[in-house]
Formats: sequence, C-alpha cells, structure tokens
Amino acid sequence: MAENPSTPADVWAMIERADELVKYASNRDPKTAYEQARETLRKAAELACTVPGAQPLEDQAYKRLEDIDKLENETPQ
Amino acid sequence: MKLGRGKEDVEGRVPPNQRLTRGWPVLHASPVPKFNPAVWSFRVWGEVSNESELTWDEFRALPTATVHSDFHCVTGWSKLDNDWEGISFTEIAGRAKPKPSATHVLVHAEYGYTANLPLETLMDDDVLFAWSHNGEPLEPEHGGPLRLVVPKLYAWKSAKWVRGVRFLDHDERGYWEVRGYHNHADPWREERYSWQE
Repeated sequence: MAENPSTPADVWAMIERADELVKYASNRDPKTAYEQARETLRKAAELACTVPGAQPLEDQAYKRLEDIDKLENETPQ
Repeated sequence: MKLGRGKEDVEGRVPPNQRLTRGWPVLHASPVPKFNPAVWSFRVWGEVSNESELTWDEFRALPTATVHSDFHCVTGWSKLDNDWEGISFTEIAGRAKPKPSATHVLVHAEYGYTANLPLETLMDDDVLFAWSHNGEPLEPEHGGPLRLVVPKLYAWKSAKWVRGVRFLDHDERGYWEVRGYHNHADPWREERYSWQE
C-alpha cells in the first residue's frame, strides 16, 4: 500500500518542531538543540520542494536556518 | 491601582487545546540579555506628539499598575493567576500622545525582536510593561527587567526584554508574524498560524 503523500501541513509541523527546539533550547544543551533544529529544518526544506503548495515553507525553513546562525553568534560566552 | 480580572474558577479560563502548567516554562528565541540599568533605556517614537527615551530610573518612577491575569503560550501551556506589576500601556500612551493617524504599535525588544499589535488592543486596561511577577522581580529568563504583558493574546505578543514602542500608521508584522504565525493571536480563537488569517 502506498504511503499517503505529504502535505504542506506536514512540512509546517516539522518547522514548528524546529521552532520549539530553538525556543526551549535554554532548558537543555543549546548547541545540541540548535543542531537538531537545523537538521529538522533541512529535512523540512527538502520535503517542501516535493510537496505542491509548500514552496513558501521552504523559504520559512531557510529563514530559520539563518536565524539559528545569528542566535549562535549572539549567545553570551 | 488594581486592574484586570479577579480569581475565579479554572473552568472556562483555559483556551482550546491548551494544558495547565503550575510551573513556568522558559522559552525564547534568543539568549538572555544582560541588564545594565546605567545604559538601559525605553524609547517611544513614531506617530506620537511626544517622543521620548526614558532611563530605567525614569521608567520606574512612573505611576505603577498591577494586573491579575492568565497567560497562554502557543506551544500549548497556560499559566493562570499571574500577578504582574509595572507600567500600564495606557500610561505610556498618555504621555506619548498618539497622533490620530496611529493605528498600530511595533514593540521592540533586545536582539531586534519585534511584536506587532493594534493600538486598540494595547489600550486595554490589562496590558502593561511588567517588572514584577507574583511579588518578585521578573527573572531575566522570563523577560526581566521588563516585558510586555498582553493577557488576551498568545504569549509571543508579550515580548520579553522590551526596549521601546514605535507607533505606526499601518500594521507591520513582527518577528514571529513574518515566520508563519498569526498576526492577531487570540488563543480563544486558536489564531496560531498565518494561513488562518
């Protein structure tokens, strides 16, 4: 039986998961949380390319990858 | 001056798909900034007659207000019965004297974080800039020294580490609002995402 095709909602769920990893990063090891968020966002971007109607979400995923780069530079040493 | 809702039964106070928390989860999309009262300032500018930039001491010398209210995070938790103390938004607006053209406000916080709100929403009597929570100084991880509190909307509108407000003659989406989250953010309508608009 073929799997159900992914939808934009599936892509957004991955992005939202990445958002939560970033938002709650200070409760755990931020470096690990940011890396997990990056990985989730990369997968979301890849999936967005294959899902009709999900192109804006690919942009959202890349925007967040830039956000995480900035966050790491802002983190107090 | 005591403003906002009183304590009442929990039933009917938790919006759809929210769960109660007794703790206070810490979440934010930036590091916790260091507070230096000697250089901290609160700027009010834009569509107002009286632009200003207040020092921490000047800000703290304004008339204070307290609000008892609930708090709802878009990640799914709600924290009831919070006692906030600070400066009401109406106090800030009254001093700034918004021009008739002012319709919205962009709240500015550390690290360039912003949150946009209609001026009408901010003029509610339960909206304030808080430095105290439940009788204690607001802890840095919860937005201390100063955060906005907008009880009727999801908590990302209640920006932490606020440094100023810009009055606008138009709406301008803030940090999360350009990242797919709802422009208005009413928890009772579950206004979580921009595609619901």
